[in-house]
Amino acid sequence: MIENRETDALRVQGLRAGYGRGGDIVCGIDFAQRAESIIAVIGPNGSGKSSFIKTIAGLLPARAGSISVTGSDVTALSPARRVFAGLAYVPQEANVFRSLTIRENLKLATEFLRGRPGIGREQEERVLSLFPEIAARPRTLAGNLSGGQRQMLAFACALLANPEVLLLDEPSAGLSPKIVSQTMEAITRVRESGVTILLVEQNVSAALKIADEVVVLVAGRLSLRAPAKDVKPHDLASLFFGKAA
Amino acid sequence: MAQLFLNGLVTGLLLALPALALTLVFGILKFANFAVGALLTFGAYAGFVANVQFGWPLPLAAAFAALCVALASIIADALVFERLRERGSITLLVASMGVSLVVENICRFFFGNAARSFDVTLARPIRWQGVRINHEQIVTASVVIVALILVHLLLTASPLGRAMRAVADNPSLAAVRGVERRTVARIAWALTGALLGIAGVLAGLDRAIDPLMGWNYQIPIFAAAILGGLGSPLGAVAGALMIGLAEEMSALILPTNYRQVVSFCVILLLLLFRTNGLFGAKAVRK
Repeated sequence: MIENRETDALRVQGLRAGYGRGGDIVCGIDFAQRAESIIAVIGPNGSGKSSFIKTIAGLLPARAGSISVTGSDVTALSPARRVFAGLAYVPQEANVFRSLTIRENLKLATEFLRGRPGIGREQEERVLSLFPEIAARPRTLAGNLSGGQRQMLAFACALLANPEVLLLDEPSAGLSPKIVSQTMEAITRVRESGVTILLVEQNVSAALKIADEVVVLVAGRLSLRAPAKDVKPHDLASLFFGKAA
Repeated sequence: MAQLFLNGLVTGLLLALPALALTLVFGILKFANFAVGALLTFGAYAGFVANVQFGWPLPLAAAFAALCVALASIIADALVFERLRERGSITLLVASMGVSLVVENICRFFFGNAARSFDVTLARPIRWQGVRINHEQIVTASVVIVALILVHLLLTASPLGRAMRAVADNPSLAAVRGVERRTVARIAWALTGALLGIAGVLAGLDRAIDPLMGWNYQIPIFAAAILGGLGSPLGAVAGALMIGLAEEMSALILPTNYRQVVSFCVILLLLLFRTNGLFGAKAVRK
């Protein structure tokens, strides 16, 4: 699975990470992702999914291993510099600046990335055309938006940086079923605009609908990687609970 | 009565800058900085050096003080606060008490305990409708108002201000939006240092400069920032004005040397009944 070095948008090798002085939560993950694909990371609670994606984003320091984005190593970079290298991250729930307006949220998304290629008016128009409802009310405080609208604003902010790779941590968390399907639809639209997407998701059936491939994480290790169409939700139960050693 | 009201307003404005400094650091770095009083003292001494020893005019001395305290704050951040940033707000608060003692004793080491004052010519106060207005009061009020307007513009209308508010709102999200927390923290320290430096010079106009002068302001500053809701810049200014007015007006019913009781009472009442302050419901919850 690690052969096409040039076409891999995201590569992770021997990645280990954990909190404070505790043990490793991410226990040596090797992983590569083709450009413009959607991969869903699923697994039981506490399997290290969120920690895995946070380590890639740089919010949790890697204890060992390396992370590269479109061939360049970003392991030593701060989270802010990784955005510059083409990695965007949308956290779970607290994903917008609630005390800032929509307009300020959008401005901040690129203000400190001067010099990164593909940022500017054109990108802004392209992104806002993907999320028309956000563009319509620039002066609203982001904290007053509904969960689904906040999610759209967060996507828009992440995309304004013109990322190669977009990391999404549970985009469906706290959303109603109708909004979940709209969100998933938005994710496929984002992929069509040329972005590679790695998403962590509890809502397995929603994730299976849009993902090309599924990666199952159990106890901080990769325990399965398969095309999404070959994975049936009920097969996963044995994987989640049987192999949690 | 009108005289006390005017004095209260000016006292409040004088408190507004350090209260704003306290609340900015609290918002961005999430701890109560006990070194505000000492840094203010340091500002007064820096102004004294420029004004009396170098013979510079007062506005230049104030700019020098702002620069010195901004530098001192950045050094304190690099040596102390940044290293402890992940250790939680209590650790940082105790560290700031340590910084406060160090700064205070640096002042004592160089200038001794004797009271000093700026080299300013005394001018006759202006009388207007039976109210006496000192020149120092006019200077204090206008300098503070200009500084407040500048800080307000910086926070609301500049990219840097947006970045500061973003870090205050959600530091890890700010990081993944390309905002370096470290840089923003340094700039916030420089800004609060400059505010404290100017406040120190204004305080030195109001009373004698001695190594303990900051302590006269410490409690009212905290009362003002808590009253306004820690983390809320506008709240801090409003809180400072209210504390200033309350302290001066208390002279109607209390002997003036009990003035500080007012601030203590405000803190006590807030802790009992309204821990978020008047404007800070949102800022403190996080």
